Amino acid sequence: MFSTTRLPSRTALPTFLRLSDTFATETARTTTSFARSRRNMPTELLANQKPLEKVSRSPFNVAFNVHRRTASHFACRGDFNSNPSLLICNKDSGLQSRTVSMWPSGRKSDWQKALSDAEKVVGYPTSFMSLRYLLSDELSNVAMHLRKLVGTKHPILKTARGFVYDGNNSMQTRGLLVLLVSKAAGPGGEWEEEEEEEGDEEEDSNGRSMVSGIYRSQRSLAEITEMIHTAYLMHRGVVNLEEVTSADGTVDDMSFGNKMAVLSGDFLLANACTGLARLRNTKVVEIVSSAIADMMEGSFLLEQDNQGVTFLPDKDWAIKDWTNHTFLCSASLIAKSCQAAMMLAGHRLDIQKKAYNYGKHMGLAHRLHADLLPFSDTSDPNMPFALTSAPLVLHMEHAGRAAVTDKITQVSDKSMKVDYKQLRLEVLEGPAIHAAKELCYDHAQRALAAVTVFQESEAKSALENMTRAVTRF
Amino acid sequence: MATSVRFWKEGQRFLPIFPQLCVVREPNHCKMSLKKLCRQSRQSHARIADAKDGSWTAPGKLLCEPGRLPHCRGSQGNVCRPLLQLNTTTQIRSICTSSLCSSQKSSPDPRTPSDPFQLVSTEMSTLYNDIRMELATFGSVLRDMSHYYFDGQGKAFRPMVVLLMSRACNFHNGASENGLALPSQRRISMIAEMIHTASLVHDDVIDEADTRRGKACVSNLHGQRKAILTGDYILTVSSMALASIGNKDVVILLSQVIEDLVRGEFMQLGTKEDEDERFAHYLKKTFKKTASLLAHSCRAVAVLSGGCKEVQEVAYQYGKNLGIAFQLVDDMLDFMSTEELMGKPTAADLKLGLATAPVLFASEKYPELNAMIMRRFSEPGDVELAREAVTKTESLQQSRILAEQYCREAVRQIQQLAPSPEREALVTLTQKVLNRKK
Repeated sequence: MFSTTRLPSRTALPTFLRLSDTFATETARTTTSFARSRRNMPTELLANQKPLEKVSRSPFNVAFNVHRRTASHFACRGDFNSNPSLLICNKDSGLQSRTVSMWPSGRKSDWQKALSDAEKVVGYPTSFMSLRYLLSDELSNVAMHLRKLVGTKHPILKTARGFVYDGNNSMQTRGLLVLLVSKAAGPGGEWEEEEEEEGDEEEDSNGRSMVSGIYRSQRSLAEITEMIHTAYLMHRGVVNLEEVTSADGTVDDMSFGNKMAVLSGDFLLANACTGLARLRNTKVVEIVSSAIADMMEGSFLLEQDNQGVTFLPDKDWAIKDWTNHTFLCSASLIAKSCQAAMMLAGHRLDIQKKAYNYGKHMGLAHRLHADLLPFSDTSDPNMPFALTSAPLVLHMEHAGRAAVTDKITQVSDKSMKVDYKQLRLEVLEGPAIHAAKELCYDHAQRALAAVTVFQESEAKSALENMTRAVTRF
Repeated sequence: MATSVRFWKEGQRFLPIFPQLCVVREPNHCKMSLKKLCRQSRQSHARIADAKDGSWTAPGKLLCEPGRLPHCRGSQGNVCRPLLQLNTTTQIRSICTSSLCSSQKSSPDPRTPSDPFQLVSTEMSTLYNDIRMELATFGSVLRDMSHYYFDGQGKAFRPMVVLLMSRACNFHNGASENGLALPSQRRISMIAEMIHTASLVHDDVIDEADTRRGKACVSNLHGQRKAILTGDYILTVSSMALASIGNKDVVILLSQVIEDLVRGEFMQLGTKEDEDERFAHYLKKTFKKTASLLAHSCRAVAVLSGGCKEVQEVAYQYGKNLGIAFQLVDDMLDFMSTEELMGKPTAADLKLGLATAPVLFASEKYPELNAMIMRRFSEPGDVELAREAVTKTESLQQSRILAEQYCREAVRQIQQLAPSPEREALVTLTQKVLNRKK
């Protein structure tokens, strides 16, 4: 089955993968380990895997692909810290049928088109970005062990599923944005004066060579950004053993899942660390590290249960808290990676700042878009949504906190029942949806304003198109 | 009674010309490098001396500045090692009076190179406070959790080694102003402790441990998810602190540690089928999980002291050998505490399915252990049988001999540096590592 999924032939490999000096030898090794890991992979992980050839040739499948892609982006992979409860219901009721009914196909193609255009601009499909690490012996090993967890509700299965079979379709938008911003900014000014030591500076000179308008170091950075995000998803999916219920699986299984989640997240983080160090720019190391610290700080702001459903905090949660939380959890990484990409090219501070602002506001606009999606779907009035999503926060600002807390019945210490149907109706009647859309436009506008600093180019248009796409509802 | 070269100091001030003495072997190139040295230092104080009796004699030995060592390459490109066997006061004094310091009155260094802990105690006293300052965040839960293990109750073994190594290297390079570690080197000692703690937090979740350093694990108090994120946070903050030093090579060195820690953890998941490979696998894992941190942070402080490649390598090798010895002893204690300090959780490694050196040694005599190692002591009675096998054989002594060998190598390496109280402390430390009880 894996052969149909195609390991890309060497020539078909994205440039970025081929850039690795050691890749030629690695290919031989990883091909076998890929096959091996494939054999050992839990069937559940592969159940939904579609051969890409087929998908891309049939028009129907393209459309389907679009749905799944977008759905997985907004709901499934927990991207932008999206509402995980969506995920649960998708998982149970079948992702495809739901996503098809959830959004009329005409709407999403904006985003989809913006993405596929953007991928052409940077020169290769960016969803390949994590392939190299997926194929490592270490992660193959983890995949093999995950078999034991099939049937449990450990969140690592969701993350891994996204990592394995959605690898073709899933949105690695962070990396893509970093590449686009890099290309839009173009070749940088003077390099930081580098004390040339004889001999071992080869890597550096490679880092400065440009492939389709992007420095090699910037491509590495894009990859590192994706790795950090995936590691974060893995680690955020560690469950608290005390709260494990019999519906989740046995405590032993969940503990084993934790072990795998910790190890694979650590593995990705460690590779991100060494990758960052190899960029040989301590400022970049510092700023990207600070983005990770932001994500950790952000995840302590809200309590969540083992399935990733966030709880309403005890104190008042205003839209500025939402913005702060969203910035820390997701926009910070994009913003700081974009800025770091400018540093790597040696751009001036004002350009760095613009790139940072683009990443920040694009991240926030994107998240608002994702938060609004459950409210544009009318098919299932009982569909859950996050109580800490932007429309809800705005609703509380308007109608008072009690308007939401009234709908919650505390079942036990760590679980609750929410009358989603009634709550949704009230949110839709109030001004919150409109306000959230306004906020989304506002951030998109700021993002667009930031990229005006770049000269006209297809990379710049791709950035603009992606930004506009998140404001279409 | 070894006399420290600090003898050459007047109070805390170094003599400007000869920060310290060392004797270099290699008769053939001595004269050449002597001239070269004199040219480079624009001083002609380098003399050919005989270390044995301190008199000025002809070829064979060269007295030179160790700071200039990289230039003293032998005919095969090998580097002259400082021998430093000036053992008696008379020797030093005779050289001293006959050459440079006739006007200076030397007095012995009042400090005794005895207790490694005491030597760096002032610098260590602020360590945990500094770490807590780095980990200052507005989120109170995250702050409490990340500060949890930095309460000053830990052994702080790693920062101590790093600080001692910093001073020893600084002294060797003649770079030390006040005999203390540089601020950047202190940062490394802090970062080493932070990386170590972050890995402990993650290990405790992986191993489902209940207690650590005599108190409840942070994962038990706040749940596993937050514990893992806290570990990531500590690691990330250490990475920021590392980057703020601004040295690219040092960043690469310490990032390697993080990768090694993870790879070591992955190595622990598997066991090698082949019995010969198994020991190599174990040692490699030990290096990655324990020694890599010491080795790389020692090298990092050597880099920061401005040391040449050779000094860096000495620091790295010392850290590596000491680290492996440290872990070997740790693995021994896991068995010994059974007999000596009843009540402690014992044979914890076995219960985790890990075969450490004592078991691997015992398996040579009891081949039936091999099957248990392969199934990771998962069947009832396996742990007890393995423990019994270890006590019945000399495997603990064998482990100790192995640890001693690593310590000896560490000592051999560190003695290539110029003698200083810190160097002696690092030598003493190897004994402390071997004899520790907890």
